[in-house]
Amino acid sequence: MGNKQTIFTAQQLDAYQVSDHVYSILFYRYRDLAPQLVPLDYTNNPDVKLPYELIGSMPELKDNPFRQRIAEVFSEDGEGNMTLNDFLDMFSVLSEMAPRDLKAYYAFKIYDFNNDDFICKSDLEKTLNKLTRNELTEEEVRMVCEKVLDEADLDNDGRLSLDDFQHMILRAPEFLSTFHIRI
Amino acid sequence: MPKPGLLSAALLFGVAAIVLVLFPLPASTDSGDGTRGPVALAHSAAEERAAPGVAAEDEEPGGQHQQQHQHGGGYKVVQWEWSYVQTPYIIAIWLLVASVAKILFHFSQRFTTVVPESCMLILLGLVLGGIVLIANKKQLYQLEPALFFLFLLPTIVGDAGYFMPARLFFDNLGAILTYAVVGTLWNSFCTGFSLYAAKVLNVIDEKVQADLMDFLLFGALISAVDPVAVLAVFEEVHVNDTLFIIVFGESLVNDAVTVVLYKVYISFVEVGPKNVQTVDYFKGVASFLIVSIGGTLVGLVFAVILGFITRFTKKVRIIEPLFVFLLVYLAYLTAELFSLSAILSMTFCGIGANKYVEANISQKSRTTVKYTMKTLASIAETIIFIFLGISAVDKSKWAWDTGLVSCTLVFIFIFRAVGVVGQTWVLNRFRLVPLDKIDQVVMSYGGLRGAVAFALVVLLDGEQVKAKDYFVATTIVVVFFTVMFQGLTIKPLVKWLKVPRSTSRKPTINEEIHERAFDHILTAVEDIAGLQGYHHWRDKWEQFDKNYLSKLLLRKSVYRKSELWEAYQKINIRDAISVIDQGGNVLTSARLSLPSMASRASFPEFTNVTNYLRENGSGVCLDLQVIDNVPGAKVEEDTETHHVLAGNLYKPRRRYQSHYSRHFMPLGEKERQDREVFQRNMKYRMESSKSTRHKRHKKERSIKKRHGSDPKEESTEKPRRNVSWHDKEPVLVPVDSEDDKAEHSEKDEDEGITFVARKVETPKPRPKSVPAAVEASSSPLASPLSRPPSVDTPLPWKGGVGSPPPCVSVEATKIIPVDLQQAWNQSISSLESISSPPAPPSADAVHPRISALSRIPGAPRPASYTPSSSSSFFSTSNTQLVQGSFLFPEKIPKEEEEDESSHELQPLMSTLKPPPPATTSAPPPPPPGSAPGQGRRKHPRVFLRSLVSAPPPGNTEPWSRGPTQL
Repeated sequence: MGNKQTIFTAQQLDAYQVSDHVYSILFYRYRDLAPQLVPLDYTNNPDVKLPYELIGSMPELKDNPFRQRIAEVFSEDGEGNMTLNDFLDMFSVLSEMAPRDLKAYYAFKIYDFNNDDFICKSDLEKTLNKLTRNELTEEEVRMVCEKVLDEADLDNDGRLSLDDFQHMILRAPEFLSTFHIRI
Repeated sequence: MPKPGLLSAALLFGVAAIVLVLFPLPASTDSGDGTRGPVALAHSAAEERAAPGVAAEDEEPGGQHQQQHQHGGGYKVVQWEWSYVQTPYIIAIWLLVASVAKILFHFSQRFTTVVPESCMLILLGLVLGGIVLIANKKQLYQLEPALFFLFLLPTIVGDAGYFMPARLFFDNLGAILTYAVVGTLWNSFCTGFSLYAAKVLNVIDEKVQADLMDFLLFGALISAVDPVAVLAVFEEVHVNDTLFIIVFGESLVNDAVTVVLYKVYISFVEVGPKNVQTVDYFKGVASFLIVSIGGTLVGLVFAVILGFITRFTKKVRIIEPLFVFLLVYLAYLTAELFSLSAILSMTFCGIGANKYVEANISQKSRTTVKYTMKTLASIAETIIFIFLGISAVDKSKWAWDTGLVSCTLVFIFIFRAVGVVGQTWVLNRFRLVPLDKIDQVVMSYGGLRGAVAFALVVLLDGEQVKAKDYFVATTIVVVFFTVMFQGLTIKPLVKWLKVPRSTSRKPTINEEIHERAFDHILTAVEDIAGLQGYHHWRDKWEQFDKNYLSKLLLRKSVYRKSELWEAYQKINIRDAISVIDQGGNVLTSARLSLPSMASRASFPEFTNVTNYLRENGSGVCLDLQVIDNVPGAKVEEDTETHHVLAGNLYKPRRRYQSHYSRHFMPLGEKERQDREVFQRNMKYRMESSKSTRHKRHKKERSIKKRHGSDPKEESTEKPRRNVSWHDKEPVLVPVDSEDDKAEHSEKDEDEGITFVARKVETPKPRPKSVPAAVEASSSPLASPLSRPPSVDTPLPWKGGVGSPPPCVSVEATKIIPVDLQQAWNQSISSLESISSPPAPPSADAVHPRISALSRIPGAPRPASYTPSSSSSFFSTSNTQLVQGSFLFPEKIPKEEEEDESSHELQPLMSTLKPPPPATTSAPPPPPPGSAPGQGRRKHPRVFLRSLVSAPPPGNTEPWSRGPTQL
């Protein structure tokens, strides 16, 4: 790990609550995704973005319905082009140390397809169609969506706010605690 | 607790009296009767009975025989055929006794909450055993290993395996396997060696003739945690799911270890320790692998067979449950046949098949499977514990040695605890959710031994294991100690340690969705990181399942549907049922509409049953099966309805009675009529009510929709047998052929009426006309969706202006007594303080009730109104901020840990953002940029950027949204 000091300054490392070890894993992974774009030297914050196409075209992800959405939510420009910081953020949000509310917030963001800070019906329908791979009829999707809203929409405005979402998801304390990965 | 004690004592004697009457009979005719049937329930002691005793008791029946014989050799009007019915009779009587005992224990609620059932059953067994012993001078009944392993254990394991929460099980598979394999090995070796050491040190009496191998053998059989005991005790304790699945999973999976160790040691004991070669140890290891993996494979093979068979049972629904029982049991027997781990086999057969079978078989078969399995398991468990008690009484079977008993007790307890702590320490390095100390305590304490150990020790060969009698006695003591003492004390312990309990939360469609979505998200992130972690493999498995297994094992009509849809339907039905269950007593605030399949788009003013119920304010029973006598003002209407219905309903229905078929279950005649009557009844009432306009079309719609929902069946276009009520004429429905009928009935079974709990379009405050008492009990207080009120109340600031919080419940299953209102109020104020940003003063004016609530002493509202509270969702643990404001209670410990981790940064952060004055009563709204700053305080390093950068530009910070934006 001797060479990581040459890649990052101490402050840069401090900005992420991931251990050096994990950090270097992630960095090299990031670099592996696009060796031609990402320089090895990060001391002066080069402005490098990993285009979404690179992530979206990974063979492991081709069946994953949320790949684009995840890239969008975690990327700063909202279009799935990830800087190294975005990349690291993604893992820090899903690390064990991240507080539950932050996770809930990002989960909420992932559902919120149209970025209006509410999960509205169209968001739900999108989610459902992604989850079921369009196996349900429109009718069925709508019924399920209504049920979802019915359960979670506490203010009866026909859409889920972040409060609604958190409220609902915190009912099961173990739910978000499993929402993390280990690196 | 004098009363329950007296009660149960009296009842015990009642049962005992019955048994006393019955027991001598089997015994008396038993002698000389060689055929005992496959189930050797009556112990062979009967054969050894002293002849004089038999003669004395034989007199009565014998006398009858003689009299009849003397009457002349002709036809006997009454014959005494005891030997003919003996075996099943005894079994039936035993089952009866066990079941009655179970009923008796549950007479007293207070008693059963303190004393676990298993304890009581063992005590009952002791009493019964004592009575039998006194009556017969000889123990008649004992827990026979063959009976136990072939019949009693499979019913329990089958039930456990089939209903095992598969996801939970596999999520914790690593831990379960570790505890089961490493833990059991550790326990067994340590106990064995330590006992041997105790023997060498003369702590154990000279009389106990045992060497190292014997003690190792004993250690092997005594160290395994017992599934029956764990189930019996833990089911009543309700610890959280993870804890339960780890202990219970361990108790199931360690069977392989126990079986192998037991057999290996037995063979070692047989050949003598000196003749054991090194190869044999390796054989032992190989044998372990074969037994465990082989057992698992057998189970999985049977699971595939079971899934495949149930794919084709469409025409013979009636035998679906039988297939389930048979194949699961065959999995057990087959594994036993090859001396593989039968428990593993059965467990994995159940786990593996459950998903496919449940999807394939009809709703009724599902219910049947569930009830039958639960009934069998429950009765088997009862019998096991009673027999354990009875067996203990038989003094001829055991020999006591205080040293051995106390040493064993101490050793198994210590080694269990040490093993658990050590393994958890290792496991926590890998687990996603680490097990904390409290969990470890419960796991150590929950290491109950039970009937498996007893059956194994009874199976020992007294010739080779000289100390068998001592081992039997010790095992009995250990089992009794763990089941009774630990079983009795684990509940207070769990309460005292504040172990997170399992919440009886019902699944919601939200959770189903999020669970799946989270899986995908985590898999995606793992894949992006290039890791091949747990989620990665689970996703791979799911792909495989979807692409191959489901296609093979699910019938086509089911396969098309997503699991999510299945879950939705289940939840929907459950909601409907819970609404119905309530309907008889209290108004529900649930929104329920009939039927779910109807297209709501075409009928926007869809009939809303609950609206109707609300407006009428009567306790209407929405039971599908019966017409309930609705008390009160509805009675008259009911009688009217009844007259109307009686006129045109019943006669034509009779036709169906002739169509009896053994091969499918027609909807019971009575049931069908009742259901129709009920439907008509309901519709009639709706008709009479002004609030419903479209019910006239409901039936047609539902029919249409039902057809529509399954296009394949739509093409059949058979006339419905469910006749709409508004067909004034009695309709004779042509029943074409058996096939058609089967199809109809299948559809009836599976679809029937479906309710959909449905959202009303507008927030609906409770009508003011409802009596105050009802209002108090059911309206806003009842609305938290069956969750504890203190945690989960409708967020009050969101309610319509000037109105109490709207009813938002899907299923109002909790009615909160008036005396809990205080708690509810406090929770409102605390909830309000967490998520409501500094409310403008006008908000208080708008919500007079809420502002009043917030003045409740003990909920220091002003502190919570500091600007910091606006970000308390995201920065919770800063103690300066938190005082007086709300904290998620379950979060505190975790947060404290985190605080430690970022401890050195605290001073810096607090200078960065000084704590606001705690006395501010009406603070200004937070500055726009303050929230991220607060978030930074908590986790300065990680989340600083993510919080600032995450919301797309132009959006307001989500946590600063307040009532003004709603």
